[in-house]
Amino acid sequence: MTEDGFTRVDLGRGLTLPNPVGLASGTAGYGFELDQLIDINRLGALYTKGTTVRARDGNPPPRVAETGGGMLNSIGLQNPGVDAVAAGYAPRWRGWAIPIIVNVAGGSVDDYVHCAGVLEPVAEVAGIELNISCPNIAQGLDFGRDPVAAGRLVAAVRRVTERCVIVKLSPNVTDIAAVARAVEDAGADAVSAVNTYIGRKIHRASGRSVLPLGTGGLSGPAIQPLALAAVAAVCDAVHIPVIGVGGIVDAASARDFLIVGASAVQVGTATFVNPETALQVLDGLRG
Amino acid sequence: MTADLSRAALETGDVLVVERLGGGLLELVARLPHLAATAMPGTFAQLRCGEGTTPLLRRPFSVAWTQDDICGFVFEAVGAGTRLLSELQPGDRLDTLGPLGHGFSVVDAGPVVCVSGGLGCAPFPLLINELRRRGVEDILVLNGARTATRLYPAERFARPAVSVVAEATDDGTRGHHGRVTDLLGQALASRPAALYACGPNPMLGAVMRTLLESGADLPPTLEASLEAPMGCGFGTCLGCALPVRAEDGSGAWKLCCTDGPVMPMRDVDWEGLSALPGADVA
Repeated sequence: MTEDGFTRVDLGRGLTLPNPVGLASGTAGYGFELDQLIDINRLGALYTKGTTVRARDGNPPPRVAETGGGMLNSIGLQNPGVDAVAAGYAPRWRGWAIPIIVNVAGGSVDDYVHCAGVLEPVAEVAGIELNISCPNIAQGLDFGRDPVAAGRLVAAVRRVTERCVIVKLSPNVTDIAAVARAVEDAGADAVSAVNTYIGRKIHRASGRSVLPLGTGGLSGPAIQPLALAAVAAVCDAVHIPVIGVGGIVDAASARDFLIVGASAVQVGTATFVNPETALQVLDGLRG
Repeated sequence: MTADLSRAALETGDVLVVERLGGGLLELVARLPHLAATAMPGTFAQLRCGEGTTPLLRRPFSVAWTQDDICGFVFEAVGAGTRLLSELQPGDRLDTLGPLGHGFSVVDAGPVVCVSGGLGCAPFPLLINELRRRGVEDILVLNGARTATRLYPAERFARPAVSVVAEATDDGTRGHHGRVTDLLGQALASRPAALYACGPNPMLGAVMRTLLESGADLPPTLEASLEAPMGCGFGTCLGCALPVRAEDGSGAWKLCCTDGPVMPMRDVDWEGLSALPGADVA
């Protein structure tokens, strides 16, 4: 127990979160905006924007579209590249109490291995979350859909890092438990589930898809029951810690994930609506 | 570069009135002391529309004007979110996050031209108030809309009203019969120190095109307030990308919410912007 009454969450390999409530990748940037709006250091973890070998400009707009109880995004992993994160951002995290877990994305095993290698000596990086589930870039889902490929990727990253390795799973699969078991067997320390669901919205005046690539990733409270089912299946399948994410808007919707066996949670899209949501979830879980 | 959000805060305040201005234009007035004290011309607030999860996202609105501890917003009920805002009653609570975004560079000497198209009127009262506080009195407002009832009332651009407002309507029901850009030639003759524009993105592109085709020197300060579908409004979702011209000539994106919404018109990739599909109003 910590001073404020929370059970720490041991994700393995020396990474212990001070509490179970984190900010989900892609909804908190690298923390520098939210640090100005909320007391970010009270939270359990910051999972950064998906970070790639080289800087990416991202997809053409429009990149977001609202849907019933949710939103679609097609950001396309806009990020400054792992070198800029290691050299430029990490020094700014010095002194932060919140553990920084860098979300890493790529199109090949080498991409992930390279990023993990660059981040390995960076003291401010508490862990790595492997994004094998981005629906908005070419090859983004290739690893997430294939247990064998996912396992091979994790094993390769495992060889170059002593950091805690979390694998973020895609819900856009037939059997998420099979992918979870494969990454556990390959040496993942924890899994987070789920990334966004593939969705589409039609611009009714024109009959065209709103998002330029046609589809995007659906997030928000609309997906919470879907995410909950997926997380429950993952919890049943693996022995490593599971981090639940998908549609959390308050303590009650977060607690659902803990009830089905998750050890921690991430708050995502709700932060866009109210930057204080994760703190409210934290306080609500404690109360 | 990380956006400066040091003034932004969540604030919930009482709605005082939702006034119907005619033609579908609405003015929402609420008591929001923090926003009123900190909003700069061209900045915006993210307003929560209802308490449910549909519509989920806040809606961005320019802070149209402030007076003591109250703020005004101008909008139109075009989708689910703005419809909920239009139904607010005095005493209802309005949940806001702001001020957000990069506003206008306010000049200290005129002449100044403000070009407004439709709801593009929204940021100008606050801007004109600040210009006048700085002693700038030579302010010309070019106000265009589809039809007379959709023109933001001239006397509301400045209180007390001293600025000159020239009006244009597409259907000729008031003022010049035609586009607001038709009025630009005359306005440029005064060799303005600053030209500020706000309106639909195609209208802003037309303003830039007209300026370039006029052959006149571009005003030293030349800025437009742009719009884009927005997720968070504070720079984390990266959803509101707008095409800009990078210094090396290659294409690039900037965020409407934190790099903008006000951007130097010289930096915008107007062709890229005009190629984007129209807004998906939800």
